[in-house]
Amino acid sequence: MKKILLKTEALSKSFSSGGSLQHVLKNIDLELYEGDFTVIMGASGAGKSTLLYALSGMDTPTLGTITFAEQVISKLNQDELAVFRRGHCGFVFQQIYLIDGMSVMDNVLAAGLLACRDKKVILQKAKELFAAVDISEETQKKFPTQISGGEAQRAGMVRALINSPEILFADEPTGALNSKTGLDVLDTLTRFNEMGQSIVMVTHDMRSVRRGNRILYLKDGVILGECELGKYTSHAPDDAARQEKLSSFLIEMGW
Amino acid sequence: MRKSFLLARSNLRMAKGQTAAIIVLIFLGALMLNLWLVLSMDYKQNFDRCHDRLNAEHVTFAIDGDSREIQDFVKAAIEEDERTAEYFLASVMHMVGIFEYNGGEMNTELIFMEKEAALSRPVGKIEIVEDSSYTSGVYMPYLYKSDNIDIGKKIDISIGNQKMSYTVCGFFNSAMTGSHNCGMCGILLTEDCYQELKDAGCAPLSTLCSIRLNDKTESVDYDAMLKDAVSARFAAARTVSNTYDMVSRSRYISQMICSAIMSAMAFLILLIALVVIASNIINYIQENMKNLGALKAVGYTSRQLVCSLLLQFTGISLAIAVAGAGLSYVLFPYVNEMMVSQTGIPYEIRFLPIQFFLTLGVLGGAVSFVVWMSSRKIRKVEPIVALRQGILTHSFKRNHIPLEKTRVRLNAALALKTTLSGMKHNVTICITMLVLSLVAVFSGVMIENMIADMTPFLNMIVGEIADSCINVEADAEEKFLAKVNGDERVLKAYLYNSVQMLHVGGDVLMVTITDDFSEVNNQDVMIEGRFPKYDNEMAIAAKYAKERELEIGDEIWLTVDGREGGYIVSGFVQITNNLGKDCLITREGYERLGELQNMSYYLNLAEGTDIGAFNTEIKEYLKGKVNATIDIAATIEGTASVYVSLMKMIVFAVLVLSVVVITFVLYLLVRTMISNKKRDYGILKALGFTTGQLILQTAFSFMPAVILSTVIGVIVSSVVINPLAAVFLGDIGIVKCTFTVPVGYNILAGVGMILAAFVIACLLSVKIKKITPRALLAGE
Repeated sequence: MKKILLKTEALSKSFSSGGSLQHVLKNIDLELYEGDFTVIMGASGAGKSTLLYALSGMDTPTLGTITFAEQVISKLNQDELAVFRRGHCGFVFQQIYLIDGMSVMDNVLAAGLLACRDKKVILQKAKELFAAVDISEETQKKFPTQISGGEAQRAGMVRALINSPEILFADEPTGALNSKTGLDVLDTLTRFNEMGQSIVMVTHDMRSVRRGNRILYLKDGVILGECELGKYTSHAPDDAARQEKLSSFLIEMGW
Repeated sequence: MRKSFLLARSNLRMAKGQTAAIIVLIFLGALMLNLWLVLSMDYKQNFDRCHDRLNAEHVTFAIDGDSREIQDFVKAAIEEDERTAEYFLASVMHMVGIFEYNGGEMNTELIFMEKEAALSRPVGKIEIVEDSSYTSGVYMPYLYKSDNIDIGKKIDISIGNQKMSYTVCGFFNSAMTGSHNCGMCGILLTEDCYQELKDAGCAPLSTLCSIRLNDKTESVDYDAMLKDAVSARFAAARTVSNTYDMVSRSRYISQMICSAIMSAMAFLILLIALVVIASNIINYIQENMKNLGALKAVGYTSRQLVCSLLLQFTGISLAIAVAGAGLSYVLFPYVNEMMVSQTGIPYEIRFLPIQFFLTLGVLGGAVSFVVWMSSRKIRKVEPIVALRQGILTHSFKRNHIPLEKTRVRLNAALALKTTLSGMKHNVTICITMLVLSLVAVFSGVMIENMIADMTPFLNMIVGEIADSCINVEADAEEKFLAKVNGDERVLKAYLYNSVQMLHVGGDVLMVTITDDFSEVNNQDVMIEGRFPKYDNEMAIAAKYAKERELEIGDEIWLTVDGREGGYIVSGFVQITNNLGKDCLITREGYERLGELQNMSYYLNLAEGTDIGAFNTEIKEYLKGKVNATIDIAATIEGTASVYVSLMKMIVFAVLVLSVVVITFVLYLLVRTMISNKKRDYGILKALGFTTGQLILQTAFSFMPAVILSTVIGVIVSSVVINPLAAVFLGDIGIVKCTFTVPVGYNILAGVGMILAAFVIACLLSVKIKKITPRALLAGE
């Protein structure tokens, strides 16, 4: 029996635009499980990113509840949500969003020291993570604009993982990268998931979708369907059965 | 031009907040600048206008006695001198008088004139400013119009040994005798009152000589000539005089102080505004590098882009300067009201185009220059490079405060990173806080030395202070001393007399005479060398010595009563009784040449002694031998309260102004920082930083510059405030200020400024609350 990490009930999000109300998410009931690599996919405008922001406490829902380990986060105010995020979540963004004025190492430590004041522990962890994503000490001292996009996204992943988050949210993490560096990033995410890291990723890139073990298909603000693919492992990347199952699911969903 | 205008309009729309803050600073700068220009260029000219309108004299000279012999002698001396343009002799009464004023006493040489005769004077005309239907009473100089001295009210004037009571019928204006700052003060009496005073015999008949000169700059020399001639012939006659030079300056002391402070404030605010504008433009270029590149790419020239900034900032500055200068005319009546209580000369407020356009010119010119200098960087913007790269807003030469190594806590370290990467902000803050520290220290010095306890100010300005001053005839001195020395209420009694002597080849000097200068209360007047001990020594006012290039050890020659003698300068003193034309001589030293006809004694009385009653007692004891008694504290209170009120208002105004300036400068900086770091704040919030942490980080990032500049500012200002004050007060004879610098207040003020800056920065940073990580991710 999988442990539920995050649960939503009748989650809705609306925006007012030009005087009219736009319902982006509609009564979504969802459970996310520990250790899963959950992929939320769908066409542009389906509400993928809005769902991710709501699940991660970046944004508050209009209606419904979101519960994280028995804590109802949908009722929290902005500062309480910030404390929630720093303690439980990690983020990898499409635009990476490293702070330009800080070195790569400082970008990571700024997030790490926020949650843990033991600098030695954080520093050790940062070094291990940097080594795991193959970022040299020299690169760690550089500023974000002085490194490549792939290095920056891997540094972003180190920042996301520095606090050992219970759940890692990734919003189109390969969207701004070329094919090769995108693949590196996906491999890194896969490796961390193999080590037990729960991941929720939003994407419409098929290469990325295949990395998930659970695929949620979002259309017009509702989860149209979901598909359990089984784990993708770095040892046995893509077997034919996974491929076929995913293809049938996507055809069923009208992709 | 039209393109530059469109760009300027677009820039303004994008930076409404910054524009508003700059507008406030320019507005305040223009307001202060125009007030200062009006005060310094026109207000003092009002004396000359009044002087000309009243065909006033350049030398006023009163000598006791109106005999034909005296009048003929004086007439001959005046007519013989080629410098005389016209003159008028009048028979008046002259005596020291005391009356209540401003909660204290006014004690001055009074010249009593019959009203109708005074109004028909061809030279030194007198104009009635306020009149009434009262037909019997007194007309007072306009300066004295106050709560207690007003039309219909009774005024008691102690004249000699008698107290006369009059109804105030009105007020008049006289250029040379309309104030206690003139050395003599005119009082107009209706015919019946004049006759009554004459019959009372308490004020001797005198001859009042009013002389207009061909060249007003000769007034001091002319006065010396006349005094010398008269004292040679009538050695025993009591005289009093003033000159255009002395009166024109002494009636405008408050104007001088106010003008000096306003000029300082105007230029300091202007300096801050220019620094803020420069910082704003540099920031604008950095932020809009891509836009500037795009504009260049579509054909805009550097010149057009610079012109748009010039148009934007200079245009706003000129428009706002018009409003600021305009408001100065609305506020000027209040400033005028403060000034009139000291000048006593009504000032007609009117539009002054020269000052107005000078204000616009100075502001417009300064702003244009700074904009041009700061925007030159636009020329170096290459369209392709700018479009490709935008601008690197951080220096990548150095990673300030690496989190890996620093021991500083995270939020403080992030704040310090921001501090060290924003040197332009730091420079702006430093200049602002240095300026405001000086303002705070100045306020503290004024509160400590003038408002809370006037003694230090009085010691410097007034010189000698005791409880009572009693002037007795020479032949009653022995009896007087026997009486006071045997009175247990008298702690100390010492001669402290003032007479005038002519410095040969120089000016008329006010000579202070005492037996032993080591006995006087205020020893602080000696600023270099020592007091005179022997009869051939003198201490001279430092200001006069400087003007005449006199050194300690030099010998100067003085004349009185037709005799001439040399005195060696033993030291420099700072006395402002005669606006720095003063000297000290021992009694023995004076009596080498002259003879004291009457002498003033200063008395220190036991605490709790009723000074008025004591003075009356002495007066009655010596029966007619006492010329005047002065309750010094009450007298000082009367005259000094004008300066105290003025200083209170100035201190209040500069403190309010400081708070406004610091608020707007911080507003600009915080707003710019939030705008520049909006993305960073969004990221940090996404990572889990709370709004409170980011507000504190922002506010703390300003603190190193605030603390450093405030500490340096307060220390440096505390050191330079006295020399600086001496520069401002130089006109009245001050060369060395010895104001107590209130260390406690300064520390408190410094701490207060730092806390205020922190609180203001926190409050202004609350806008960070509106930055949400979602907005960052959604690209809003």
